[in-house]
Amino acid sequence: MPVEVDNSSTVSGDASVSSTGNQNPPPKSAVKKKRNLPGMPDPDAEVIALSPTTLLATNRFVCEICNKGFQRDQNLQLHRRGHNLPWKLRQRSSKEVKKRVYVCPEPTCVHHDPSRALGDLTGIKKHFCRKHGEKKWKCDKCSKKYAVQSDWKAHSKICGTREYRCDCGTVFSRRDSFITHRAFCDALAVESAKTQTNPSSESDPKVQAADSSPRRSPPAAPPPVSAPSAITSSDIRIQSSVLAEDPSTVVEEAPTPAPAPAPPPAGLNGSSSSSVSLVSSGCSSSVFSSLFTSTTVSASIHPPQPLAPAPPLVGLNGSCSGSVSLVSSGASSCSSSGVFASLFASSTVSASIQPPQPRALTNLIRADLAPSTSIEPISLCLSTSHGSSIFGTTGQERRQHAPPLQPAMSATALLQKAAQMGAAASNASLLRGLSIVSSSAPQENLQWGQAQVDPDNASIAAGLGLGLPCDGSSGLKELMMGTPVFGPKQTTLDFLGLGVAAGG
Amino acid sequence: MKTEVRGNGGSISLQNPSLFNTPLDPITGALKGCLGSLDGACIEKLLLHCASALENNDVTLAQQVMWVLNNVASTVGDTNQRLTAWFLRALISRASRVCPTSMNFNGGSMFQRRLMTVTELVGYVDLIPWHRFGFCASNGAIFKAVEGYGKVHILDFSITHCMQWPTLIDALAKRPEGPPSLRITVPSCRPQVPPLLNVSKEEVGHRLANFAKFRDVPFEFHVKDDDPCLSHETFATQFESLLTQLTRSQLDLRDDEALVINCQNWLRYLSDETKGNTTTVRDAFLDVIKGLNPRIIVVVDEDCDLSASSLSSRITTCFNYLWIPFDALETFLPKDSRQRLEYESDIGHKIENIVGFEGFRRTERLESGVKLSQRINDAGFVSLPFCEDTINEVKSLLDEHASGWGMKREEDMLVLTWKGHNSVFATAWTDEGLSVVQVEPTETKQGAVSLRKAANG
Repeated sequence: MPVEVDNSSTVSGDASVSSTGNQNPPPKSAVKKKRNLPGMPDPDAEVIALSPTTLLATNRFVCEICNKGFQRDQNLQLHRRGHNLPWKLRQRSSKEVKKRVYVCPEPTCVHHDPSRALGDLTGIKKHFCRKHGEKKWKCDKCSKKYAVQSDWKAHSKICGTREYRCDCGTVFSRRDSFITHRAFCDALAVESAKTQTNPSSESDPKVQAADSSPRRSPPAAPPPVSAPSAITSSDIRIQSSVLAEDPSTVVEEAPTPAPAPAPPPAGLNGSSSSSVSLVSSGCSSSVFSSLFTSTTVSASIHPPQPLAPAPPLVGLNGSCSGSVSLVSSGASSCSSSGVFASLFASSTVSASIQPPQPRALTNLIRADLAPSTSIEPISLCLSTSHGSSIFGTTGQERRQHAPPLQPAMSATALLQKAAQMGAAASNASLLRGLSIVSSSAPQENLQWGQAQVDPDNASIAAGLGLGLPCDGSSGLKELMMGTPVFGPKQTTLDFLGLGVAAGG
Repeated sequence: MKTEVRGNGGSISLQNPSLFNTPLDPITGALKGCLGSLDGACIEKLLLHCASALENNDVTLAQQVMWVLNNVASTVGDTNQRLTAWFLRALISRASRVCPTSMNFNGGSMFQRRLMTVTELVGYVDLIPWHRFGFCASNGAIFKAVEGYGKVHILDFSITHCMQWPTLIDALAKRPEGPPSLRITVPSCRPQVPPLLNVSKEEVGHRLANFAKFRDVPFEFHVKDDDPCLSHETFATQFESLLTQLTRSQLDLRDDEALVINCQNWLRYLSDETKGNTTTVRDAFLDVIKGLNPRIIVVVDEDCDLSASSLSSRITTCFNYLWIPFDALETFLPKDSRQRLEYESDIGHKIENIVGFEGFRRTERLESGVKLSQRINDAGFVSLPFCEDTINEVKSLLDEHASGWGMKREEDMLVLTWKGHNSVFATAWTDEGLSVVQVEPTETKQGAVSLRKAANG
């Protein structure tokens, strides 16, 4: 039975949220036709969340008199007539006149959000089936699996019926992709370079599976140049994948699999000014994990700079100049996946020099660690694949590979932790964070492996860059202005301690 | 002394009860209504809270929210997690520039740009119909518009490096009356956005020429060179210079040619800000190309309104729009797919610009299809409906992709939809003064100009 979504009755969203700015742009009133803006389906629509059972049920329409089920509403209505109901009951409820949109009951699903609701019931049912249902239908030709029968049928009709083969060996099922590929394929370029007097076959490149292309060039002809060039393009990412991985070899013993061969990246050692590109690895999903892993690499290569002030943002302890850019990579590298986790990862390495840590947070950390090493800290993280938060995974981190799936933490719990963290941080002023090294930090916190660190620095570090105007202590100013607070090799620093060069 | 807090999921004991004296309201407000789990709506609220915290210099709150978001974010998680990860990066990127300093930061982002090979780009544009939809609709309209012409000249303003043209060349090659001779001119400047190639425009043109020769279509390719001393300037500066060079003589326009102007994901990079009383660059561009008397202009772009100056409204709109490609990729690519991660990273680049920058550095200034159409209309163009053949082609294209992609017509505009939500729009226009071949007599939006079949000299 249709159930109203708890947290909002219209698509416009929860009224309790107040924030600056226009959160819900009104639908256009000037156009003649009412159109659905992206992300803003009809705001007056009724949002309905059906239960999984209802969505999966084939007979969704049930007669309330005899409980007979029907797949279609029309059929149900037809059936109900047979019961000789009094006129009033036979009326359709006026509710049905209102536009309905449906959300997915699965909380993590993208369609759980009312602003991404789907407009029709069949759509949401199919979605639920496809996304969260079991894939029962399998194509016998290519082994693709489908949860919805109509999808399977549609695919089977197309599968293997048409194939276009390029000289380079790639096969396409769609003509337009084939044509476009063929136009730019190196095979063609080499081809036309070779053959000047080419009996111009009308050569429509359309092809059946069995045949090769009408051009009698051997299919094995020039090896796809894409291979070598693929290497070039991945070269750029090699730095990052190495980046992502090196720290693991440096700090931890277990190397992680590299997606690409890894020549030592040029810019890593900090002496060159090339930008270090960070490709977010497939599993180390943090925003800045690799950002800081690079630091740890350099930290190992060059002795860590003696840092007078706390090494908060010290993403790069001055060893890496040049801008650090973030890209996604596929390496399964650092365990630290949190933004702030890695923020502090670096300080772990250099932390032997100075481990400032406020007591409150220490308690918090301990509280987290107490229950169980394998579960508790991990439970802070919502991201199910590889995430770990600041407090991350202790045991696993040492082994330096992606932690297994974690149980989700409730929003309320997160809220508590965040508040605590904020409370602790609010005590530490910016300047304190910068210049004061409190020696109260228990060393054990530094043994979590490279990912774990300095939650206090986290807050301070974060605080440094977030919305702070450029007044205040000289320490801050220097930090922001990029004077070598952290080491001579730094050119300019943003709040993350990254040297940001023009090339960034 | 211990205090117990009963949350939704259970109790948490905390060592220090005085922590509760801290103001929890902002975060509480942010998470209220989340029912204990963080879904898309909650994440959106959190992003907004973070943004407003940044704007108010509320460091603690911003940091708290980022901490929470960071726990959700994952570039290899599900759709919401990935989106969160990229938005979080953009916010952090924004935060790191709050302090106006002597930092040299000429608008470069924190992300390294990834260069693709041409072959990779081909796969990229066909991963989902996001680009191919526009190509197909535009090429269909162009094909119709140049019927009967022996010479065609295309001014190609796009960011997809001529990926659009092979299918058009193919279609022209198969024309019953034989192919026209085709010229394609591209500007040498281009917004510094992905997708990026590792070869020059000339090289791309060279390959295209090879293909055209292969299909026996007479072909020329030109790169409209800019002033070389502008080569290190921003796109905006280079483009302003280019605008002055879009004249008949400098483009070498010929009278017997059908002039086609192709704007793919382009107009959004032209500034829509009026400085004083001058017209916007965007409008100026439209005026210039109108002055060239083109046979047809096709405009394709993303159907989302991101021109607002308010950060919060941009975050909301962007978040509720860009889930579409993420969701589409999720449908058929595994979580660790390289192609998927790269595609998403390019979207992340866009997010970073939209959320992380202001002023002239914020180069992504999308207008919705309706608004842009109004602007083009105001410039004096008349919309051309897409013919049935084109529509059928688009439909069969979409059939070949994952189900969930659809298409709808909004007046003369074609819109690509994903699960019913608008994603990309395509429109075609012509100069009001010209009579147009082969358009059925229908009422246009204005109703004033009715287009009839006319023999065109």
